[in-house]
Amino acid sequence: MMGDLVFVLAFTAPALGGQPAPTAEQVEFFEKRVRPILVTHCYECHSQNAKKLQGKLLLDSCAGIAKGGRSGPVLVPGKPQESLLITAVKHIDKDLRMPPKSKLSAQEIADLEAWVKMGAPDPRVANPLPKRGEIDITQGKKFWSFQPIKRSEPPPVKDKNWPITTIDRFILAKLEAKGMMPVGPADKRTLIRRATYDLTGLPPTLEEINAFLKDDSVDALAKVVDRLLASSAYGERWGRHWLDVVRYADTAGDNSDFPIPQMYLYRNWVIDAFNRDMPYDQFVREQLAGDLLKDEGRRMKDEKKEQFDSSFILHPSSFSPLIATGYLANSRRHGSYEDARYPWHLTIEDTIDNLGKTFLGITIHCARCHDHKFDPFTNEDYYALYGIFSSTRYPWPGIELDRVQRDLIPLGSSAEFKKAGDEHYKKLAAMEAVVKKLEAAKASADKIKSAKDERDAFAKQPLPYPTVYGVIDGKNEPKKRIGQVGNAKVQIKGDPDRLGKEVPRRFPAVLGGQSLNAAVKGSGRLELAAWITDSANPLTARVMVNRIWQYHFGQGLVPTANDFGKQGRPPTHPELLDWLASEFISPERKLGDRAAPMLAHGAGNWSIKRMHRLIMLSRVYQLASTDDEANLKVDSANDYLWRFARRRLDAESIRDALLFVSSSLDRTPGGPHPFPPTMKWDFSQHKPFKAVYETNRRSVYLMTQRIARHPFLALFDGPDTNASTAARPTTTTPLQALFLMNDPFVHEQAKKLAARLLREDSEDAVRIERAFVLLFARSPSAEETMQTSAFLALVAGRLRGAGMTAELARVGAWESFARALLMSNEFMYVN
Amino acid sequence: MIHSSVTRRLILRSLVGGSILLPGILADLLAQDARDPLEAREPHFMPKARRVIFLFSTGGVSHMDTFDHKPRLFQADGRMTGVGGGLSLEQRPLLRPRWAFRPGGRCGTLVSDIFPHLRERMDDLCLINSMTTDNNEHFQATLAIHTGSFFQARPSVGSWLSWGLGTFNRNLPSFVVLAPNLPYAGTQVFANDFLPAYHQGTRVVPGPEPIANLRRHNPSPPAHLLQGERGDWLQQAELDLANAFNRGHLKRNGNDSDLAARIRSFETAYQMQFEAPEVFDLSRETDETLRLYGLDRGDTQSYAWQCLVARRLAERGVRFIELIDTGSSNNWDAHSDLGAHEPLARRIDRPIAGLLQDLKRRGMLDDTLVVWTTEFGRTPGQDGPRGRGHHPAVFSSWLAGAGVKAGVVYGKSDDIGATVAEKPVHVHDFHATILHLFGLDHERLTYRHAGRDYRLTDVYGQVVREILS
Repeated sequence: MMGDLVFVLAFTAPALGGQPAPTAEQVEFFEKRVRPILVTHCYECHSQNAKKLQGKLLLDSCAGIAKGGRSGPVLVPGKPQESLLITAVKHIDKDLRMPPKSKLSAQEIADLEAWVKMGAPDPRVANPLPKRGEIDITQGKKFWSFQPIKRSEPPPVKDKNWPITTIDRFILAKLEAKGMMPVGPADKRTLIRRATYDLTGLPPTLEEINAFLKDDSVDALAKVVDRLLASSAYGERWGRHWLDVVRYADTAGDNSDFPIPQMYLYRNWVIDAFNRDMPYDQFVREQLAGDLLKDEGRRMKDEKKEQFDSSFILHPSSFSPLIATGYLANSRRHGSYEDARYPWHLTIEDTIDNLGKTFLGITIHCARCHDHKFDPFTNEDYYALYGIFSSTRYPWPGIELDRVQRDLIPLGSSAEFKKAGDEHYKKLAAMEAVVKKLEAAKASADKIKSAKDERDAFAKQPLPYPTVYGVIDGKNEPKKRIGQVGNAKVQIKGDPDRLGKEVPRRFPAVLGGQSLNAAVKGSGRLELAAWITDSANPLTARVMVNRIWQYHFGQGLVPTANDFGKQGRPPTHPELLDWLASEFISPERKLGDRAAPMLAHGAGNWSIKRMHRLIMLSRVYQLASTDDEANLKVDSANDYLWRFARRRLDAESIRDALLFVSSSLDRTPGGPHPFPPTMKWDFSQHKPFKAVYETNRRSVYLMTQRIARHPFLALFDGPDTNASTAARPTTTTPLQALFLMNDPFVHEQAKKLAARLLREDSEDAVRIERAFVLLFARSPSAEETMQTSAFLALVAGRLRGAGMTAELARVGAWESFARALLMSNEFMYVN
Repeated sequence: MIHSSVTRRLILRSLVGGSILLPGILADLLAQDARDPLEAREPHFMPKARRVIFLFSTGGVSHMDTFDHKPRLFQADGRMTGVGGGLSLEQRPLLRPRWAFRPGGRCGTLVSDIFPHLRERMDDLCLINSMTTDNNEHFQATLAIHTGSFFQARPSVGSWLSWGLGTFNRNLPSFVVLAPNLPYAGTQVFANDFLPAYHQGTRVVPGPEPIANLRRHNPSPPAHLLQGERGDWLQQAELDLANAFNRGHLKRNGNDSDLAARIRSFETAYQMQFEAPEVFDLSRETDETLRLYGLDRGDTQSYAWQCLVARRLAERGVRFIELIDTGSSNNWDAHSDLGAHEPLARRIDRPIAGLLQDLKRRGMLDDTLVVWTTEFGRTPGQDGPRGRGHHPAVFSSWLAGAGVKAGVVYGKSDDIGATVAEKPVHVHDFHATILHLFGLDHERLTYRHAGRDYRLTDVYGQVVREILS
């Protein structure tokens, strides 16, 4: 953007403090020649009374000038040539012209120069340096989310019989205080359908429904929850939630959207971690610093024997923390350039943006160009984190001008791998040497080109061992890296070409400000992981339990799951949020919950599965979704959970359920996508990579791109692959209806569903019953059975009339019935 | 939720009970309770434009070979140099414009021979020769001219207008993109991003099925068995049965407005199956009209087809209609030889001129804004021996119709077309001006997302008031 330049001055000078008091002549010169210039041309943006203070620079006091702009003093007393104040008013640097829209007269500039030359004597010592524009960390810490987690006793309630668990007491106390009564419990069919979709993203089977209906024991629901938590479908469902938050994609997002064939390993790692109930602190640690964990080497050794089958599908038992760093590696890529113009600062911003939202619920990336406008994060806080990631080597997915994957990590450390890798790189180096030699000898263009082609073709060959798209602590490589391992400098106004002062790597001040030990030689990611998972960190546990709550109830206790700052919404139940958070991180312990004797153990140890159990066995989770006129008047949005919120299935559940009811769902875990081989990669911004791969596996295994969204997921409010999705919106559009009415995929499933109904039972009444139970987990009403029978007869009759055989007409009618069911609201909504 | 009184509910229910497919009037009754995201809404102030036809030419159209006459460039003799190279980073010999310029219309604005038909429409146009953008790559510049953002995906200008103003015809999408191929940045250029999905651009691919799933594929039973009075009796029967189930479900679930909205969406979809194909059915257009656009009867692949369909969509109340001429390859990106501009220009010249004439004679140009742009210009210096490089510093675009001065040229580039000489119009200013014509203040049209109020124009943009009529 043109204009709007800000008077931001880098600094070179020592502070002006300790100067001798100005002489009378100097004061006169200042008052007559200098102050008027400052008042007329500078104060509008650079004084305490400025409407909007620019560049954090105050020119209306001696102290302000001494402190300088965003990064320090603006003057070198006695040396006008070295003073940015003078450079700026002379309009020498096109990025730093002050005043921005006009230029001072030659006389005015000369006066300022003379003033600096005499040592910039400034009589305005009485003006104190105001706090204006500064972020006050002490004040900032008072905001609710930065306060330590405070575990409070569950509040007293009037209706002592209602609560089953401690959670219920927090919920009921609020409802009672607001004069509301919760609605009654959901019936068992509703409950099992709710719990099954909730934990697995799939409908319950007939057998599961019947078993639950027959089970009258007090812990019948607990058994269902445990069964669901133990199924592999659980990780596929909840892993997908996590992939939403970390904006997972199988492509890089650069201008050609290069595929990342190894990315699925991270996806599978996430699913596996949920299924194994990996403690959340470890889950965080491995994603941020899996390559740096001490036991990593040992684990690799133990597991290398059984790592891969021929199709390079990760063996479930051989997960590796190296793969987990795919979280960082998956940061977005930009542009087409491979050289110094590659915008690494944007990839790192994407990392910091996502890391802030995902783990901490903060929008710290807003502090890239300036201090955060609402929350207590400074510009320096941002660059204190930045240094950690500019010291990290990200893998290179390939880009238009360098279409080769580089800096991948071998998955394993065996001698064979090493040997094969050494040979590969030796060959590549030899080919490179040939090119260099030909160039030096000024060989013909043809010869050079053919040598280059040979080198590039070889470079595109896959490495002779399995690789991971992950990160390690980074050493610089020419052209690719923007910084050495070490601290980063502030990028003034977010411009990587305008560097300010160096900022030591540390955690944001308001969250504790822990800094790296001087002995740390690496990036500091391991330490960052420790700061994030420190039980004293007020955000990490709160943010995660809130996410879990949100996916169960449709809305978090903090409705803005990615923003626990001032622009987010405060918790509806702050005490409950803190109680859950403290429960989540507490060491292994018995939950002293007398009301829930069936709970063998409480929450704690960062266990996500225990959190599910704790929540789902509460009465509030088991409420019906019915209306209540009185409650609607007080709390129409159901913020206080007087009922269970009805929900439409998300995109993946819609597709999975369609495949499930037609018996077509392939339950095997997904492996790599059928991307074109690396040798054939010729993607460019003109011909970007674009593909949709069909599969009958669960939707979490669909290949998702950044530039072009998957058409089905885009239609049904699927996740954003470019930025963190905190919660899926639900839209209802006619295009969705057209999909269900006309798409061949839906017709195919309807056909199979009909065939299944016809195959599995012999009587129409039983078939109708079965169809309703399969899709809605309930029996049809007498009216519905009647309507269906009439429909079947009508359609079959009309089809026969049109010339079909009786048998084909009968099948046709059932297919038609199946389509009607798949279009119905009850199939798409969960109570 | 529907919070209305019991009496009203009972009336609604009895109406529902009497019908199988919801009649339109009942859908409207329900809509009053359900928040309708596409309902036409009031702008901030009196608008001049009600709809826009946004013509995008992919690849970077050379300004000095089309709309920006640079006499000095015609003197290029191989020795004079100027900014050139693939990314306008080098000094290279200047390249003479390929086509001669002649005055067009009563205003006499000079336009090159590459656009002979458009030249005749110059009295209808407001030409801007001082457009400027910030990035020399196709992807980023294309994303920016559509979303105001160079690197991050953000809602498209069409999504912003749809969200801000709603639409007039709920049987059609509010934002339609006619695009035979995807441009740079793919679907991101017409994505709703964080705005609700109702506002995403619906892509129409010229051909037999312009909107996905408008008709049944591989129907079973075969189609010839299913034809009834109005299309597909079997589908009607299925919708009726689903509706019967839905009505019971709605009743059991407290008349939840989300459920009601979904019932209505099927009714709309059902109508769309008839209304949308009608939009694309040009059989009732006269030969004279087809000739105006340069369209052969039966052709659905040409840009002329896109232009005529655009007029028909505009007539039917679609808010934002975008036409993308060509995709991310085989486009205006003439690095090695400007000759590549010629077939592309021929493809769009007469259809656009025809569209402007057609809108004008129907009185539609009074409240329809027509915009033509590209992502950036091209360098005055050579790239390949006969071609030009990417040039974001300056390029040409034009506006026509609702609220815009006609027959004028705004802004100037320098004498070789290398920089803006007067009155720069940045992409953000361009967007601010478009929103202004719709009665929207670009600083007030904000959407809260991830803790921040977002705008189409980020923190920039000034309405170019001088071109407003």
